[in-house]
Amino acid sequence: MTEHESVRAMLALAAAGALGPEEVRRVEQHAQGCELCRRDLETWAAYTQGLSQLPQPAAPKGLVQRTQARILRDRAHAADRRRSELLLGALVVFGWASGWVFWTLARVATGGNLNVLGTNLVSGLTWSLVSTVLVWMTAATAALMLGRRREMRRFL
Amino acid sequence: MILAAAMSLEAFTTDREIALLKKGDPDAVSDLIGRYQHRLYRFLVRLVQDPATAEDLFQQTWIRLMEKIGSYDARRSFEAWLFAIARNLAIDHLRRRRAISLDEQDESGQAPMDRLTAGGRDALEQLLDFERGALLAAAITELPAIHREVLTLRFEEEMKLEQIAEIAAIPLSTVKSRLHRALESLRIRIEKGRDL
Repeated sequence: MTEHESVRAMLALAAAGALGPEEVRRVEQHAQGCELCRRDLETWAAYTQGLSQLPQPAAPKGLVQRTQARILRDRAHAADRRRSELLLGALVVFGWASGWVFWTLARVATGGNLNVLGTNLVSGLTWSLVSTVLVWMTAATAALMLGRRREMRRFL
Repeated sequence: MILAAAMSLEAFTTDREIALLKKGDPDAVSDLIGRYQHRLYRFLVRLVQDPATAEDLFQQTWIRLMEKIGSYDARRSFEAWLFAIARNLAIDHLRRRRAISLDEQDESGQAPMDRLTAGGRDALEQLLDFERGALLAAAITELPAIHREVLTLRFEEEMKLEQIAEIAAIPLSTVKSRLHRALESLRIRIEKGRDL
């Protein structure tokens, strides 16, 4: 590539102020003796100047207030969501803990043997299965109720 | 000297507001939104080319900023960080939206290039438009989003190439080549429009 071709490829970036000092020096030096490149550089300069003076779209009125209001709404929803998640977690723990306490009491009361239809209801495995199913059903119901309450609040 | 003092005062104010924001002070965010509203909104309008979408993305940007403020590294430029959040949201939006071809016709039945040159105006009128920036602004809307982005950041926001690289998460050399291609295709469109 000749010096002329090499400089021509840099003219747009030169006008955009995107070259290093050494490249700028090269472009300026070449443009002094090259009519074609000098005129092209002037054209690029007109473009970049035009780009700096484009008609500006103004921010709409009330943008700051609307943004603030949306942030507050979003934060309120996030806080509500966090509360719901905590409540659900607490319900699951409570369900598990109360099930364990009740199981201990039932074992003490029945001496560890409560046969119904050939199944010992207070055996560890049976009790775990039943209480797990019950806890998850409770959690699912609570989640549904919380979700519906949130929908209602949003609607209102 | 006055400019340098003003810039350092602004940087100090921004640092103070960010510190307040990290503590959850709601007034700090309104000051920051007010300060950046015009620049950020303009950047988003240039990228997505729709005022309503730009406003939505503007609001999403601040919500995202509030969510991430805890992880903001104060050594990083706040401005670059803010624009990077807005840019990522805008790019995600554009990816979801169907890409519009240059030759695709709009509701008026005109291709974008035809709209630019419609009305039977002669070359002199178009040149005057160019001088006013109207034709230039219209030609920018025809460029791909990554070219619009680099042009608006460089010439409207007057950002350094390093800042643009940080916002777009690309190497400096890519910023330069993207800027070069953007200018080339802008000039081609303007001159093509003028020849019609």
